[in-house]
Order: sequence, then C-alpha cells, then structure tokens
Amino acid sequence: MRATKIIGLMMVNFFLLVPVLAVGEFNTIDELEKAYGDKTCRTCHEKTHTEWQKSLHSQSVVHSLGGFRNFIVFGLKRDWKKPVNRENLMRCMHCHAPLLENASDSLAAEIGELAMSAFDGNEAAKKELSRLNVNCIVCHNTVAEVEINLRGAPKPGVYYGPSGKPSPAHGTEKSKAITSAAFCSRCHWLYTPPDGDTLYCNTLYGSYQDAYKATGGAETCQDCHMRSKGRGHTFPGAYVPEMVKEGIGIDLQATGVRVQPGKGVPTAIITIGLTNNAGHRIPDG
Amino acid sequence: MDVTARTDKGDVINIGKKEFREIGVDLEGNERLGAWQIKEIIDLSLPPGKTTKERFVAEFQEGTKNVDIEVTLTYHQTPAYQSVVHKVSRKVNFDR
Repeated sequence: MRATKIIGLMMVNFFLLVPVLAVGEFNTIDELEKAYGDKTCRTCHEKTHTEWQKSLHSQSVVHSLGGFRNFIVFGLKRDWKKPVNRENLMRCMHCHAPLLENASDSLAAEIGELAMSAFDGNEAAKKELSRLNVNCIVCHNTVAEVEINLRGAPKPGVYYGPSGKPSPAHGTEKSKAITSAAFCSRCHWLYTPPDGDTLYCNTLYGSYQDAYKATGGAETCQDCHMRSKGRGHTFPGAYVPEMVKEGIGIDLQATGVRVQPGKGVPTAIITIGLTNNAGHRIPDG
Repeated sequence: MDVTARTDKGDVINIGKKEFREIGVDLEGNERLGAWQIKEIIDLSLPPGKTTKERFVAEFQEGTKNVDIEVTLTYHQTPAYQSVVHKVSRKVNFDR
C-alpha cells in the first residue's frame, strides 16, 4: 500500500515535470525554456539526452548564425524592407527553433538582435541563444505528425515515438511518420511556412528522392544517421569527420609522360574520382 | 580539394584546386546569391551514387625524374572549422 502511494506520488511529480505544449505568448527565453525545455526529459532519458546534446539539433540556432545574419541583413532589412518580427523570423525558426511560434513579437525582435550580436562574436548572446534549438518536444510532439490536417495536431503532453511504449511520466503514442525520411524532409527540403511561401534553403531531401531513391536507394535518413553504428540521437552529419569519410570515397590515379621522349617536358596526368556514397548530395543540409 | 606535387628536388608545387560547395555561400561563409537563385543556375555539389572525376595535367621542369602527387580533400563545415576527409598520394615517375 505504502509502495503504491509512493509510486502514485512519483507519477504526479513526473506529470508536473514533463513539459507540455503550453499555449500562449512568451516574452522571455526563460519562459520558453520553462514550457518547452529539454532538461526534464533527461530525468528518464539520460542516454538519449546526452546523445542529443552532441547533435547539431541541440545547436540549431547557434550553429546557423551566419544564415540568420544573411537573412536579416541582406534579406529582411536590405532587400525586402521588412521588420524583424515573429512572423518574418519564423521563416527560419519554424525549422531552427519551432517553439518560437509562441514567442511575442518583442521576444522575436530580441532574438533577431541576439543572433546578429552573436554572429559578431558576443559570447553572452550566443549562450542565450543556445537555449533555443530542436529539442525532444519538437520531434516527439510539435512536428510528430506529417498529416496534421487529416489526423489532427499532436496532443499536448503526449510524446510520439516509433514504439508508443507506455510511460509513467507522460502520454505516448506510436508514430509511423517519425521513422520515415519524409518526417525529416519538412526541414531538410523545400519548406512551406504558414504564410504559404515556398522557401529554398537546404534541399538535401530533393536529391535523396530524385537522385538516390529514384536510382534504387533503399535506406532512410534514420537508417544511416540513427540506426547505423548505434548513432542514436547524435544524428551525425557533415561536422563529424568519420561521417564525411564514410560518405565520400576517393580514388587517385596518376601517370607520368614526356611529350617528346628523351627531351620532352615531364608531365603528370592526374585523375581524381570522388564517389558520393551517401543518399543525398554533399554538401547540403 | 587541393592537389599538390612534391618534386624529387624538394619543391612543392600547387597543381590545382576544386570546390564542391553548398549553394548560396562561398567557403568563407559570405553570401553570393540567394539560395533559390543559385539553384536555378548550377548545382556545385557531389551527386549521390555517382563518381565525379576531376583531371589535372601538370608540367614540371626538365630534369625532374619523379614527383609525389598529393590530394587533400577538406570539408569546410564553417569558415572557422574545417576537417581533412582524405589525404592520398601517389608517386609518378617520368623515366619509366
């Protein structure tokens, strides 16, 4: 009986700890982190969380500062004469920090300033921005469904995964989408933000479909970047030398000739073959 | 990708280089064209499942008996972070 009570209390605590999709407008990064942060997930999923911390998904804002700077300076300010507000910033952040969708315009503007400052080397700004990323709740809830208009939006407080294994800490549901390459394509392909434009940023999935799958390729993103070699949630990519080495093969052929034997110019003919063994073009993202 | 040759006299000669870069920015991370603009023009990346061949022809001074050709393939993750993916070499003899 006593044990049952303790388990009951633990469950209540877990439910209070696990972040749920809060609805509302947030004015500070602290508020956003409190509502959507990843730290509580670590309580039960330490190994997975440690893996994720090594991934670029955990640095999806601070690792792309150059792109944000280009978007803000050359795009919004110079070419389009548009304000740095939530609506415009979300064209980047729907992929790089989807949870900013619930940020206030003032917070969005502040984040735009932080991005510019961090790009210029302000470490404090970079540290602040490092709290924004693609974390657990993003893939396992916010974008867990690929057919939102048909199946309905993901349920608040429910975590979607390939198994749907029940958890005492939160609701779970099995997701077939999360194991598919199409799941990843929504950011690693042409992207359609809520305003209906089509954004051409990184289009890795285009070459996956048209040049890999179309020629007999059978693996998914998850096969190589998660399941292979126990990579899990580290999602290794181009920033892991081993991954690039695996993706690109090299062959060097070279021969020496003299154009006129005996007195000709020593000439080397060098042929280098680079074979892309990945399921998408390199480089891209 | 950088190709160099070290001659039997110890000289190091740059033979050539080739960039397979991400659309939109150069190796220093500076914007060249908007992402969709460059995609309309050319794809500079390595396509999947295919071998991309590059050929270089290099002439050396008379009297050179052999050279070591070295190819270094470097991945430029960011302007500040680069990693060598492959470094391969081959000796070429001119007096066979």
